[in-house]
Amino acid sequence: MRGNQILKKSVALLSTAVLMTAMLSACGSDNNANESSNSTNASTTNNGKAATNDSTDNASTTNAADSSTDAAPADDVKGKVVFAINRTDLVETKLKEYSEQFHTKYPNATLEFEAIKDYDQTIKIRMASNELPDILLIPGTVKNSDLPTFFSPLDDLGLNDQIYFKDNRSQDGKLYAISSGSAAMGVTYNKKAFAEAGITDVPKTLDEFLADCEKLKAKGIVPMATNFKDKWPLYGWDQEAFLVAGDAALHNTMATQDAPFAVDGPHFKVFSILKTMVDKGYTEKDLMSTNWEGSKKDVATGKTAMYLLGNWVVNQVIDNGAAADDIGFFPMPIDNTGEAKAVLASDYFIGISKKSENQAAAKAALKWFTEESGFDDFSGFIPVLKSKQPALKQLADFMAMNPKTIEMQAENDDYLAIANKMQFDTSAFAQDAVMGDDIKSVFDSYNKKWADARKAVSK
Amino acid sequence: MFSLSYNVQRMLIISSFLFLPLLLLAAFSFYPALYLVWLSFTSWDGYSPDKPWVGMANYKEIFENREIFGVLSHNLAYFIGGIVQNILALFFALLLSRRLRGRNAFRIVLFLPYILNSVAIAYMFTYVFDAQNGSLNVLLTALGLEGLITSWLGNKHVVNISLAFISMWKFMGFNMVIYIGALQSIPEDLYEASKIDGASRFQALRYITLPSIRRILELSMLLTVSGALEVFDLPFVMTKGGPAGASETFVTKTVQTAFNFNNYGLASAMGVVLLAIVVAVITIQRKVILRGEKE
Repeated sequence: MRGNQILKKSVALLSTAVLMTAMLSACGSDNNANESSNSTNASTTNNGKAATNDSTDNASTTNAADSSTDAAPADDVKGKVVFAINRTDLVETKLKEYSEQFHTKYPNATLEFEAIKDYDQTIKIRMASNELPDILLIPGTVKNSDLPTFFSPLDDLGLNDQIYFKDNRSQDGKLYAISSGSAAMGVTYNKKAFAEAGITDVPKTLDEFLADCEKLKAKGIVPMATNFKDKWPLYGWDQEAFLVAGDAALHNTMATQDAPFAVDGPHFKVFSILKTMVDKGYTEKDLMSTNWEGSKKDVATGKTAMYLLGNWVVNQVIDNGAAADDIGFFPMPIDNTGEAKAVLASDYFIGISKKSENQAAAKAALKWFTEESGFDDFSGFIPVLKSKQPALKQLADFMAMNPKTIEMQAENDDYLAIANKMQFDTSAFAQDAVMGDDIKSVFDSYNKKWADARKAVSK
Repeated sequence: MFSLSYNVQRMLIISSFLFLPLLLLAAFSFYPALYLVWLSFTSWDGYSPDKPWVGMANYKEIFENREIFGVLSHNLAYFIGGIVQNILALFFALLLSRRLRGRNAFRIVLFLPYILNSVAIAYMFTYVFDAQNGSLNVLLTALGLEGLITSWLGNKHVVNISLAFISMWKFMGFNMVIYIGALQSIPEDLYEASKIDGASRFQALRYITLPSIRRILELSMLLTVSGALEVFDLPFVMTKGGPAGASETFVTKTVQTAFNFNNYGLASAMGVVLLAIVVAVITIQRKVILRGEKE
C-alpha cells in the first residue's frame, strides 16, 4: 500500500520532471538553430519594420540638421556604453579594435561590445525585463509602434538626410534606428564552374538562365544550392517577388488584400521558377539532405555553381577557400525582358536604449560606428551612408551592370499582425509550393488562410 | 537544553530540511507553471511591457484551428515507435539478465546511445539518412535492396518513421536498464518454487515476471507516451519540421508560435493544452493497466 503511494508520487514527480526538461530543452536547443553567422541576420533582415510616410518626417529632419552641427561636444561624451551585437565570431578580434579606436577618439568614453548568441531571443527577454544595453541591434520582430517605448530618437545625429532606409525604423516622424548596412539580392556564382560548362557571359534573361543551368547540369555540376532543408535560405525567392510586382512594399500591399497569392501573381511567378529548377534537377539532388555549411565549400570549389542569396554570402564563400576573383555576383533574371533588377534589403537596425545613462556617449558611439568604423565594409554590406561606395568588388561589379534597384520597405504593423496570426513564413511558403502535389492548390490554401487571418486580426 | 517539545522539534527539523527543496521547486517549477497559465490568457508578444488579457481566445483558437491539432498525428509515429521500443527493451532485458557470456558488454553497447547528446545523435543520423551518400542507402545497395532506397528525410510519408526510429534507438537502452533492474529484484525462490510445481518457462514469464514488473512497465509506458507527445529535438535539428511541415510536432509548433511568430500567449495556451493531454492520456492508461488490480 504505502509502497504504492510512494511510487505513485514518484511517478507524478517524474512526469513533472520530464515535462520541465522538455520545456527547458525547448529553450536550450533554440541556440542551435540560430547560428551566429550572417546567415541568420539576413534571413531575419526584413521582418517587421514599418514604413512611415515621408511628409511627416521632413519636419524633424530639418530640426535635426540644426541641432546636429553642435551636437555632443567631445567633453560631453563620457562614461561607458555597451553595444550588444550578434557577431560572437568577432568579439575577440575586430570588435576589440573598434573599442580601441573609439576610445582613442573619445578618451573619456569607452565602448564595450557584448556579443550575444541566439541574439533576437536574448534581446527580447531583456526588453521584457527592462535590461537593455545602451546600444543594440533591434530584433526584426519588434514592431515600429513599440519603438518609442524602448528607444531614443536619433534625429539629432544629423544623419537623417545621408542614409538609406531612413523610413524603415521611424515612428511618428522620428528616427529611432539606423541600418547597419544593406545587402543586394542576387546570384553568387563560381566563375570557374561557369567556364567549365562553357558559359562565357552571365545570363540576362530567364531563358538564358535556365539554359545555363542545363549546361552546368550536363557537366555534372549542381547548378544552384537552394539549401532547401534549412528553409531560411529560400528567403531570396520572396524578395524576388518584390521585383516581379515592382512594389517596394509588396508585403504591406498584401496586407490590404484578401487574396494576395493569385495564380500568376508575383509569388506564383517566382516560386514557379524555383519549382521548374527543382523538377529539372537544377538544384541539390535530395532537397531534404542539404547542408548549409557544406554548400559554401561546394560553391567555393565549383562543385555547385550558384546561390540565390544576399551579397553577404560572397565573403563567406571566399572564406571557404575560393579565390576572390573566382566568385562573381549578378542580378537574378526573373523574366525575359533582359532588364537587370535587384532588391536591396537592410540588415539589422541599430538603436539606442531610452534607459541608457550615457545618451551622449551612446549617440557618439553609434555615429562613429556608422561613419568611421568600417563595419559595413568588413561585413560586405552596402554602406548605409549614401555617400559611401561599397568596398566589395563583386558588389561594385554588380552595380556596374546598372540594375534597377528597389529599396525594400519595412513591413508595417498590419502586415506583421496578419503574418504572425496565420504564421506566415515566406520560406515555408516556398517549400510548400515546391513540395506540394499541386502548386495551384497550395496557393489557394494560402489565400484562404490569409483571408481568415486578415479577418481575425481586423476584428 | 531547549524546552521545545519533541513534536515541535520534529516539525522544526522537517520543515527546515524541506525549506530549500520546496523553495527551489516553487521558484523553478510552480511559479513558471502558474505564470504560463496566466500568459495563456493574454496575447503577449514576448517583449512588450503590457500583456493584454484576451480571455479564452487562445484556447478557442487551438481547438478551432485544425492545423494546430493536426500535427499531433505526426506524434503517432513516435508513440508506435515507443511501444516497439519497450517490447525490444523487455526482450533484451530478459535475455541479458540470464547467465550469458559477455552480457555486460552487450548491456553497455545497448545503453550507450542513451548517454549521447541528442543533438549529436541528430547530426549523426543526418549522415546515416543522407539520400546521396548516406550509410543506410549504401548498406541497402550492398544488400541488393535498391528498391527500398528513398529520401529518408525528404519523403513526407517516411520522415516521421525515420525520426521515430532514431528516438527508439536512443531510448531503448534506457528502458532495458530499468527492466533489468526490475527483473533482478524478483526473488529467485519464486522461480524455484514454480519450477518445482512444474511451470514452463513461458508460464513463469506470464505469471511471475510480468506481474512483478507491472509497475515498472507502467512507468515505462508513461515515459513513452509523454515522450511521444513532447518530441522536439530530433525534428527541430534534423528537418526543421520539413518537408513542407510533414515532421512538425506539437512542441516544435509551439516553439515556432512563440519565437518565430511572437505569439507567446497562444504558445503558452498550447503548452497548457499539451499538459492537459498528457495528464488525460496517463489517467486513461492507468485505468486500463490497473484494471482489476486492488489498491
